[in-house]
Parts: sequence; C-alpha cells; structure tokens
Amino acid sequence: MTLHGFILLGLALFSLGLVAVLSRRNLIAVLIGVELMMNAASLNFMAFNRYVVKDPAIGQVFVLIIIGLAAAEVAIFLSIILRLYRLRRDIDVEHLTGLKG
Amino acid sequence: MDSLTLVLLATGAPLICFLICILALRPHPGAARVVALGGMGLSLFGSVTLLLQGPVEPLRFLWFSSGEIQLQFGFLLDGLSLLFAVAVALITFCVMLYSIGYMAGDPGTTRYFAMLSFFAWAMLSFVYAVDLLQVFIFWELVGLASFFLIGFWYEKPEANAAAKKAFLMTRVGDVGLLIGLLLILPLSNSFDLPHLLDPQAGLVRLALPATLTLITLLIFVGIVGKSAQFPLHTWLPDAMEGPTPVSALLHSATMVAAGVFLMARLHPLFMASEQTRTVVLCVATFTAILASTMAMVERDIKKVLAYSSISQLGFMLIGLGAGSLFAGVFHLVTHAVFKALLFLCSGVYIHHLATNDMEEIGRRGGRQLRLTTAALVIGSAALAGVPPLAGFFSKEEIFAQLGHGGLGPFAIGAFAAAFLTAYYTGRMVFLVVAPAQIEETSHDHHGDPQPWVMLAPIVLLALGALTLGFFGSSIAATLGVQLVHHSLVSMLPAIGVVALGGALAWFDFGRKSAPRRGFITRLAALETLFIRQWYVDDFYRTIVVRINTALAKTMHFIETRGLDAGFDRLGFNTLGLGALATRLQSGWVQIYTGGAVVLLGLVVAYFGLR
Amino acid sequence: MPLLSSILLVPVATLVLLLLLPSARSIRWVCALSGLSNCILSALLWHNYDSGIGGVQFEEIIPWVKGAGISYHVGVDGFSTVLIMLNSIVYFTGVLTMWDLRQRVKEYFAFMVLLVVGVYGVFMSLDLFFLFFFYEIAVVPMYPLILIWGSGNKDYAAMKLMVFLLAGSALLFPALLAVYHTAGLGTFDMVALAAHNFDPQFQIFCYPFIYIGFGVLAGMFPLHGWSPTGHVAAPSAVSMLHAGVLMKLGAFGILAVGMRILPAGAVYWAPTFAVLAAIGIIYGAFVAMRQTDFKFVIGFSSVSHMGIVLLGLNLATLGIAGSDALNGAVFQMFAHGIMTALFFSTVGFIYDRAHSKTIADFGGLGSQMPRAVALFIIAGLCGAGLPGLASFWAELLVFLAALKTYPIIGVCIVLGLVITAVYILRVFGLAFFGPPNPRWEGLRDQDMKGMELLPRVVLVAVLFFFGLFPQAMLGMIDGATAVLLGRF
Repeated sequence: MTLHGFILLGLALFSLGLVAVLSRRNLIAVLIGVELMMNAASLNFMAFNRYVVKDPAIGQVFVLIIIGLAAAEVAIFLSIILRLYRLRRDIDVEHLTGLKG
Repeated sequence: MDSLTLVLLATGAPLICFLICILALRPHPGAARVVALGGMGLSLFGSVTLLLQGPVEPLRFLWFSSGEIQLQFGFLLDGLSLLFAVAVALITFCVMLYSIGYMAGDPGTTRYFAMLSFFAWAMLSFVYAVDLLQVFIFWELVGLASFFLIGFWYEKPEANAAAKKAFLMTRVGDVGLLIGLLLILPLSNSFDLPHLLDPQAGLVRLALPATLTLITLLIFVGIVGKSAQFPLHTWLPDAMEGPTPVSALLHSATMVAAGVFLMARLHPLFMASEQTRTVVLCVATFTAILASTMAMVERDIKKVLAYSSISQLGFMLIGLGAGSLFAGVFHLVTHAVFKALLFLCSGVYIHHLATNDMEEIGRRGGRQLRLTTAALVIGSAALAGVPPLAGFFSKEEIFAQLGHGGLGPFAIGAFAAAFLTAYYTGRMVFLVVAPAQIEETSHDHHGDPQPWVMLAPIVLLALGALTLGFFGSSIAATLGVQLVHHSLVSMLPAIGVVALGGALAWFDFGRKSAPRRGFITRLAALETLFIRQWYVDDFYRTIVVRINTALAKTMHFIETRGLDAGFDRLGFNTLGLGALATRLQSGWVQIYTGGAVVLLGLVVAYFGLR
Repeated sequence: MPLLSSILLVPVATLVLLLLLPSARSIRWVCALSGLSNCILSALLWHNYDSGIGGVQFEEIIPWVKGAGISYHVGVDGFSTVLIMLNSIVYFTGVLTMWDLRQRVKEYFAFMVLLVVGVYGVFMSLDLFFLFFFYEIAVVPMYPLILIWGSGNKDYAAMKLMVFLLAGSALLFPALLAVYHTAGLGTFDMVALAAHNFDPQFQIFCYPFIYIGFGVLAGMFPLHGWSPTGHVAAPSAVSMLHAGVLMKLGAFGILAVGMRILPAGAVYWAPTFAVLAAIGIIYGAFVAMRQTDFKFVIGFSSVSHMGIVLLGLNLATLGIAGSDALNGAVFQMFAHGIMTALFFSTVGFIYDRAHSKTIADFGGLGSQMPRAVALFIIAGLCGAGLPGLASFWAELLVFLAALKTYPIIGVCIVLGLVITAVYILRVFGLAFFGPPNPRWEGLRDQDMKGMELLPRVVLVAVLFFFGLFPQAMLGMIDGATAVLLGRF
C-alpha cells in the first residue's frame, strides 16, 4: 500500500469516529467513536513513520503514548459513565444537560 | 437721633419682633401682641421722626460684587420714601391695635402678629430702599408675607387657593419686573436709584429710547401684578379670604400700593417714554372703570372695597401716567387712610354681625353701631370724592393733571370711573344705613361690639380722612413739588360727577321707597358681565390653567413613556441579548465538541490555504 | 498634617474605625463626630484660603506611579473650597438624619463614609487619574446603599442608577485616556494638562464625551432619568448626598476637567449644551408638577435646578456675561446642595413617622407637624428663588447671564420662576395646608424636637447665612472665576 492509501484509510476511520462522537446518543457509542479517532491518528503516525521518516522510532513512540493515553482516558470515561448510570439510570447524551446556561 | 439709627429702628424693630414671636412666643399670644405692637410703635416713632427731620443724603453699604457689578444695600431718605413710610407705619400700627380686638381668641394669634411684623419690616425696607435690587428683594418678601397672611386660616381650602393665586399672579408680574431690572444692569452696572434717576447721568441718558421703553414696560408688568391692575387683578378680590385687618393693611393701603410707589419712585424714567405713558394710561383708565363696574353689583362688603382698591389704584396710576408725581402720591396717601378706615369699619360689622353681605349687615342692624357707621360714612365720602374730604382733593389733582392737553379720552374715562365710584360707594352706604327693615334678633355678642382697640384706630383714621385733604401743600413741599392752586370753577366737573353718582345711589337705595336694586339690573347683559367679573377669571381658569396642565402632562408623558421607557427598553433588551447568548450554552457536550471541530477546521483551512 | 489630606483622611480613618466598632451607638457617634470635625476643618480651609491671591493653594504632591505619570496631587481653589464645605455640611447633617437607623448600621455607615471619601477626593484632586479613581469610589457605593436600605422600587432604581452612571464613566474614561495620550506629556497632572494647548479639532471631538460623561451624573437633560428614580428609592441621607453632593461632582467635573483642559471644545459645544440645560430647567419643573410622591417632586426639582448650574457653566464659556454665569453656577451648586439636603432630610423625617411619601395621603399636615412643615416650606421657598435665601443670588446671576447672552432663553428661564412656584405651592397646598387629615392625628406629638432639629436647623441657617451675606460666597468664588475665564 502506498502512503496515500494509508492516509485515506486513516481519514476514513477518523471521520467515522468523528461522526460517531457527534451523532450518537449513547455515551458508550461516543466512547467507541473517540477510540476510533485515536486509532486513526495512530495509523496515520505509523504510515508517516514507515514511508516518510528515516528514523523509525518517532512514530512508534507517538503510537505507544497514544495507546497509553487512550487506555487512561477510557478508564476515566467508563468510570464516569458507570457513576452516571448508577445515579440516573440514563446515559443518553441529550438528557445530560446540567451545564446548560 | 441720627438718620441711620432712626431708619434702622423703623425697619429693624418689626423684624426683631417677628423673630421673637416666631421663635419664642408660640405659647404666649398675649405677649406676642404686646411685643408686636410695641415694635410697631417704635417703628412708627422712627419713621415720623425721620419725616420731621426732612430729606437727607442716602445711606449705602456694599452688599456684594460679582465681576463688574456692585450691589448696594441702604436707605434712600427723600421726601417720597419718608412720606409713604409714615403712612405705612401709621396704618400698620392702627391695624395691629385693631387686630388685638378682631383676632382675639384665634389660636394662631402669635403667628398672625409675627407675620404682620414681618410684613412691616419688608414693606418699610421696600419703601426706604436705595437700590433697585433691594427694592425687588423686598417686593418679593412683601408678596411672601401676603401669601402667609391671606392663607392665615390655612385650614380653609378657599384661603389657600386665594393665597396661591395671589402669589402666582404677582409672580408673573415679578418676572416682567425682574427682566426689566436685569436689562438695566448692562447699561449702568449698578442698581443705585439716585444714580439711575439722575437727569444728567442716569438711565435716561444711558439707554436708547427703545430700550428705555422696553425696560419701563417690563417694570410696569410688575406693577400691574402687584397693584392688581387689568389683566392681573383677579387675585385681589379672592384675597379677601384673609382676615379683615390684613385686607385693610395689605390689600388696600400698603402692599398693593407698592406698585404705585415704585412707579412714583421711577417717575422720571416713565416720563421719558411716550409709549409707556400711553400704555400706563390705557391700562389704568380701563382698570378704574372695569373695577368700578364690578363693585356696583357686588354684595360682599369686602369685595366691594377690594374692587374699589383696584379702581383707585388705577386712579393713582392715571395721575402718575398723566405726568403729575404729586397727584399720584397724594391720592396714594389719602387712599391708604380712607380705604383702611373702610376696611376696619367693615371688619366691625363682620366681627359683630357675622356676615359679609351688605344687605344682611343692614338688615341685622349695622347702623346701630353708631361710631362705626359714622366712620363708614366719612370714609365713603372720602372715597367718593366728596369735598372737603381727603379723597376729593387728591382726585381733583388727578383730574387737573388730565386737563393738561392731549389726554381727553383718559379724562373722560376717569370721570366715568369717578361717577361709578360715587355710585357704588353710595350704594354701599345706603344698603348698610338705610335697609328695608331691621331685624330684632339677638346675636351672640362676645363682649362689647366695638371694643376700644378697634374703635381707636377707626376714629384716628376717620380724622385723617376728614383733614388730610388740607395737608396737600405740605405733602407737595415734602415731595419737592410746587402746588398749583385750582380755581373753584375747574373743580366743578369733579363735584358734579360725584353729586350725580351719589344722587343716583340715593335714588336706587337711599330714599324711603327705593327699589334697592341698582339701575344696572335693568341691563341684564351688562349686569351679568359685571357679576362674572368680565369673565377674566373664567378665562384664566379655562385657558391658562389648561395650557399649564397640558404642558405638564406632555412633559410628564415624554418623561415616562419617552425617555424612561426608552432607556428601560434599552436595558431590558440588553438583558434579552444576554438571554439569546445563553442559548449557545445548551449543556450538550456534542454541540460544544461540534463547535470546536468546526472552528478547528476553519483555522486549519486558513493556515493551510495561505 | 497638611489640611487637605486631613480632610480626606478623617473619613478614611472613620471608616476603618467603624468597621472595628461593635455597637451601633458608638458607630453613629463616631460618624457624627467625624462629620463635625470635617465641617470644622473645611471651615478652617475656607478661612485660610486667601482669595486675594486666588489660584491653587494647599497643594500636596506625592508621586504614585512614576511610569504612567500618576501622582497623588491635591489642591484647592475657590470652587473646590466651597464644594468641600458643602460636602462636609451634608455629611454631618446626613449622619444626623440617619440617627434612627437600626438595620445593618455598620455596613450602612461604612458605605456612606466611603462615598464621602470619594467626593472629597474628586473635589481636591489635581491628578486626572486620581480624580477618576475617587469618582468611581463615590459612585459605586450608591448601589448597595439604595439596594439594601432603600424603599419602594429599589432594585430597579439601584440598577438604573448604576447603569446610567457607569455608562457615563464608560464615556468618560476613554476620553481621559485620550487626553493623556494626545497631550504627550506622560503625566495625568491636571495643572500641566490645563496648560497644554490641545489641537482644537481634538478638543471639539473629545469635549462632548467628557461633558456627557460627567453630565449624566449632573442630571443633564435628557440623561437625567436615573436621578428622580434613585432619589425616591434611596434612604434619606443617601438622597441628601446624592442630590446634594453627588450631582455636583458631575458639574464640577465639567468645570475642572472639561472647561479647564479643553476650553476650545467647551466654547464650541456651549450653545448646544446651553439649550439642553435650559430645556432641562423648564422640563424638570413641569414634570415635577405632575408627581404624586414628595421625593419625585424633589427629584425633578433637582433636575430643574441642576439645569441652572449647567446653563451657567455653558454660558460662562461664551464671554459676554461669563463671570456672572460661572459665579451663579457655582453658587447654585452650593445653594441647591444645601437646599435639597434640607428637603430630603425633612421628607425623610415625615416618612419615618408616617410611612408614606405620597402627597395625596397627607393634607393639613401643617397643623399636626408644624416644625417639620415649616422647614420644608423654607426649603421650598428657597427652590422658588425667594430673596433672603441662598438660591436667589445664584439664580439671579444665571438669569442675568442668560438675558445678556441669549435673551430668548433668558426670558424662558425667568418664566421658570413662575412654573417653579406653581409646583412648589401645589405641594404645600395638597400636603400642608387645608383641613388636617384625621389619619395623621397621632403625629401631633411626634414633631421634631431636640437632636432631630439639629441637622435641619443647621441647613436652614446655612441657607439664610448665604442668602443674607452673598458676598461671603462670592468673595471666594470670584477669584477662581477670573482665573478660569482667563483661558477663554
């Protein structure tokens, strides 16, 4: 596969993830979308790492950091979702408007 | 004693009595009366002594300076002020003495005597004033005293309305006066009277003729207000709501005479302007006739005397306008005496018989109060101009001056007014003295109907009315004017007119089988016109009051619906904008995220495309 | 201790002290003493100010922020001395008027003293930055004072007042900064800025911001709407300070900042603003005629009388009768301040006892509370321009100036004398004269006595003093007038 192919693949995955974040009502679906976006970003980094950059370590370091951050973020996100569900029995984004001005 | 001490005594004694009464003597009406009367006595002493000492140089003190203007405070002690001050002081003293009887038992006695003292101070300071601004200040203060005295029984709505009307109408006049005075200032940088009246260097030389006319006309507006001439005359009949001694003092003899006095004081200025003289003569003659017509259909004795004052003030202004200082001032002095006398007599009737209506007074036996009735007759004769009483001589001077060329129409008007004066005066006398029948009802006599405190002033003033006419030459000498003797023949028209009026009054009211209805009742339309006071008051009530209310309503509308509403709208709309803005804060995470993404995209695009 | 800083620091020390005091009684006495000592200090200032020499005296300079050219620079001339005296008198009588306050006394007096400090600062200040600083200190406490201790529609009134005044400040501050930058002197010192010759175009552009910015506080027509509403809702002493002193801050600002620093602008805009001021005089009087609440009548009467001040200030720039106009304007600032303090003090007294300020509720009060009514009548007559009371001289001078400069305007405002008499006599007739209203029979033995009389008698005495001896005032003002008008 060429670089262009990987970039397009990454863009497609990112867009799918973005759409999922913006349009899904279920918080877990939003979480899945966030994961998709992060993985698309990782794919992008690795593509550039393979085809453009001479030093193969940089891209890999980025991806490792992203994976670690994603894990931490998922942990926090899921604990918030669990807490919300216990309190409200509802994780529909449209009903969580407590910060409304 | 030197002049300064005397004049300070004359003006200051009443002031101190006012302060003492108002600050300390509220609970002691008896003491207040004594203090006030004592102060007035001292004042009278001061003014009489000053008169006897004759005219002296003016006394001045610098009061303030602003920029180039310097204003003085002081005393002008020439013949005119010395003479009138004695008249004022004497009549005030008489009225105060009389008031002790008339106002006995009134809960507001202290306040009454305090205000009378205040008035005396203001009036005398006005008369002796050396500076036009000082004149204006005391002119206003005299008006203030009048307001509080007319509205003395302030729990009566009619008294309050009358006081307010008097104050406002004279204020309108005062506006004219003030503007006129302020126009003088740029020309001469001072208000000093001797300086302004100086024939060589005074206002006559400093001002253009047109300016002088404007200034004198504006001052005349003030005079019209204060001396109750047409069209600012309607406050005076209403002012009869005040106690009768107040009417005697303020609204016949002194305060309303202040306007005439001012014209006498500024006589050289008025004489210098032909147009102003004509205006003065027109207004004064018209007023004299107008007021006489209203007097001849009036039933309330005080109102008859009020209209009569308006009319006689017109006479004085005719005399001054025609060119004779002496004529105007002589009549001013004689009128003060006999009009005060008439009011005090009416006060006895009102006090004892509890009615103001002349027919009622007659019917309840007014004529049985012999001394008062005799004094009434004397005063009326003086008013009508019966020789040899005071009024005859003073009126004669006015007619004589009118004979000096070119004043034909005014002379005719003056004679007509004199005729009417004799008629309504005779009517008044006959209604009281010769009623159809006298009722034999007993009235609640609280003590002696004619206590000596009320009779003594009446007797004194009656003597004055009888004899003052013969003092013409001394008065003229004090004023520094030469007296011209009139032949008997030239006096005949005046005598004739008086006789005619008196005869008609006798015919209508006096003789045994008199119909006791004026001849005017046969001319119903005219009678209505006179009774309705020529609709002047109605005009004011409908037009002027309406305009005022309309203006106030409009501005109020602008304020509440226009300005206030506008700014409120601005404020609430700003709040509304804020409410709009809060809609962005939906609380939806995804909206916020979407917004961020869009913005980020825009930024990237911007930098990418650059 | 230099005199001016003492006058400023006495209320500051009072403020600190009263925050530490526990009992309401001690707070009241401390404030009253503070007011009295300020009156004495101001009298000392007046006495020691040499009007023969004139100019700025009692100057003190302490550099504050050297980089920006800000310094604590205070000094007085004839005008400021008079106004400082006014503030002291109103401060003292204001404290005495609120003697019966029971609700949150400490906070009330704290805000009130803070306001007074601000006012002193403005009158003394010769540094533009400090002037604005003290100006804001004077304006801001009005909000809590009206909101917490006011009555009636106080939320609306407090907010409206603040928004108007801060809008004025919003116009003002950029203009002041513009002046600072355009001068290029790197200093806020007003003396230096006044000496600098600004470009006439800049002056013409900048002046209206300053005039309107200060003018809002001075109650200029048509931006006066906050004032009557604010008066009505505020407690008595606050109204006394507000109408008596605060509105003079605005006029003083126009005088000290606008006219001194931007004279060409002042001359250019004078006809326009003079007409607005004249309209304000007549307009305020007519609207006062339709009011049903005592305080609204007094509020609109203030608008009308401040119109006289503003008219005088504007006419002063036009040369023909400049000194009369300016003398009259400053005299009126003082006279009206005292008169309106007397008005509000007396109305506050009546309101405290009757719990009503609606005119129609009363009637015949003169027989039930003669002393209170007499005091109100004196204030009313002063407003009507009666000779013997201070306002007469002030109005006379302004009338004279108006007749000389714009005769038509002059005639209109002299007619204002009649209109003023109409609305004042209306209040007298409706509320004080006439048969006594049985509803208030209980007030017969609650008339003023003893300490209650003190503040009102002081105010009356001041009105009579300057009414009878105008030279005492004019001697102080005239020198400063000559200096200021020298620039025109």
